[in-house]
Amino acid sequence: MFRKTIYLTLLLALLLTGCGPAATPTEAAVPAPTELPATDAVSAAPTASDAMTLTDGLGRTVVLNGTAQRIISMAPSITEILFAVGAGDQVVGRDQFSDYPAANVTDIGATYEALNTELIVSLKPDLIITAEINSPEQVQTLENLGLTVYYLKNPTTIEEMYGDMEFLAQLTGHEAEAAAAIESLKKRVAAVDEKIMPLSSRISVFYEVYGTDPAKPFTAGKGTFITLLIERAGGYNIASDIDGYPQLSLEQVVAADPAFIILGDAKFGTTPESIPQRPGWANLSAVKNGQVVPFNDDLISRPGPRMVDGLEELAKLLRPELFK
Amino acid sequence: MRNPFIISLLALAVMLLLSLAIGSVFIPPAELWRTLSGAGSNETFRTILWDIRLPRTVLVAMVGAALAGSGAAYQGLFRNPLADPYLIGVASGAGLGAILAMSIHWPYTTLGLLAVPLAAFIASLLTVYLVYTFAHIGGSVPTTNLILAGVAVSSFATSLTSFLMMRSTGELRRAIGWLLGGVSLVSWDATLTLIPYLAIGLTALVLNGYALNLLQFGDDQATQMGLNVRRAKFIIIVAASLVTAAAVSFAGIIGFVGLVVPHVARIWWGVDYRRLIPLSILGGASALLLADVLARIVMAPQELPVGIVTALAGAPFFLWVLRRAKNQGTW
Repeated sequence: MFRKTIYLTLLLALLLTGCGPAATPTEAAVPAPTELPATDAVSAAPTASDAMTLTDGLGRTVVLNGTAQRIISMAPSITEILFAVGAGDQVVGRDQFSDYPAANVTDIGATYEALNTELIVSLKPDLIITAEINSPEQVQTLENLGLTVYYLKNPTTIEEMYGDMEFLAQLTGHEAEAAAAIESLKKRVAAVDEKIMPLSSRISVFYEVYGTDPAKPFTAGKGTFITLLIERAGGYNIASDIDGYPQLSLEQVVAADPAFIILGDAKFGTTPESIPQRPGWANLSAVKNGQVVPFNDDLISRPGPRMVDGLEELAKLLRPELFK
Repeated sequence: MRNPFIISLLALAVMLLLSLAIGSVFIPPAELWRTLSGAGSNETFRTILWDIRLPRTVLVAMVGAALAGSGAAYQGLFRNPLADPYLIGVASGAGLGAILAMSIHWPYTTLGLLAVPLAAFIASLLTVYLVYTFAHIGGSVPTTNLILAGVAVSSFATSLTSFLMMRSTGELRRAIGWLLGGVSLVSWDATLTLIPYLAIGLTALVLNGYALNLLQFGDDQATQMGLNVRRAKFIIIVAASLVTAAAVSFAGIIGFVGLVVPHVARIWWGVDYRRLIPLSILGGASALLLADVLARIVMAPQELPVGIVTALAGAPFFLWVLRRAKNQGTW
């Protein structure tokens, strides 16, 4: 009997200790928050001098001899910015989640802790650009292999994102194209601003980041680009007083009764038709009025030029009468 | 019966070679030899071989050796076939320490970059200390108490870890990557740092082979045969935990190696711990090297976390061992 207890306890121990950590979700549990805005204070756009001795987001000194011709991008936002300023041909490698724009660039695999360093080295890059979704350990690993790495801090506003575009354009020798791209982005943002700013009321929105447990959906709160863009598009995020990416209880959503429900998890298969079937969701005003909309989360979670697309989409959604 | 040590060493040599030869970039065998002996002309191959594959191979071998060696020691100490190196809290403590360290933005300095493995190491040793203290009764440390205290403390640490992971969604990927066992963020620094801990700990375990043999008869019998049971247990626990904590700090939590390798060694070459410990050490190195090679090629260019490969391969194997034990009546 005693023996049996020990075996049972040991089995329990095995399950708890051996399998405990490994039982945590291995798929991207909260997939959308891949880019978090920088939390430190001042983060003005980094400038590059002629000699190209730069200080990156981690405080490291990075020396670049001339414009970068073989770049590996370690984050989707970096890839999008590089292509937007016309430096697409100079990108020789990208991480597995860089899916826009569609281009024939070598996929270097996942950028979780495990980097495919052999592939990276074999691509002979002259510059590797990382973002905040990459860890300092990864930067150090690449540095140890003698590669030039630049850690670009995430922007916190759209204007800072323009700064990143200018900076990457300087690194790649595409200043003129970047300037033109930024001008056109600014015009588009101004077009939204001039219609939204004068309005005095805001439309309440619930942005669902992840909803596999419909009783406790994940949303985005204060300090995220999602909240920033929703507000700039004339909306009000019902979770905007909580930091980060909180998990709200359905009761709070019901109490706030948002006018719109935006499904940021549409790319994971969540459809507007499935929402009324969730227990407790059918009585929300947004559901009854049919204001449940799928949304391409990439447009709002990647701090790149497509955020302007995201802004326009949101504005059209919330104020269709103003944006034909 | 062929000499087990020769077989183990041969297997290790083969695995070391495989680990150096296989990767996502194909290096032709001729180039491999040339680059290893220093005469290679290809800069890329040289970087890949000397700065990526070699430190990784050495680190993986050491981690495998550490886990299997301490696993064998724990199985002997607790006289139980289900014991693995994480039984009394090393893994859960290390996980908690690492996740705590990850939630702070350290400056990019040598010390700052060491923060995570250091925190993991310290936390795991603290956890073992806690478990040991809880398990104390009078002058002795009964193994049952150790196990129960280990279970309790481990589940506490694990749930705390999960809670922290939920809260800091920005670091979630990094945390999961670490917990699943990642041996790709390696450098010579990490590998060399590990050597002293492993050297001291594994030597201590090997030297205590006879003590473990005596402990199989039970504490009272062992005392009557002249063993200082309390001291022996203490040394074994400290050595095994030290070695496991160091391994886990750099390689994350890799399961099943510490559980399964000693069993294989025991089935093939008997229960004498004087031989079992060193054979487990050699076998563990080979086994983890094999798992790492598989992790690299199965889903190229992506790398599977080693912990997944060992669990997927180790679990069926372990079940097979259980069935055999049931049929034979002993383990």
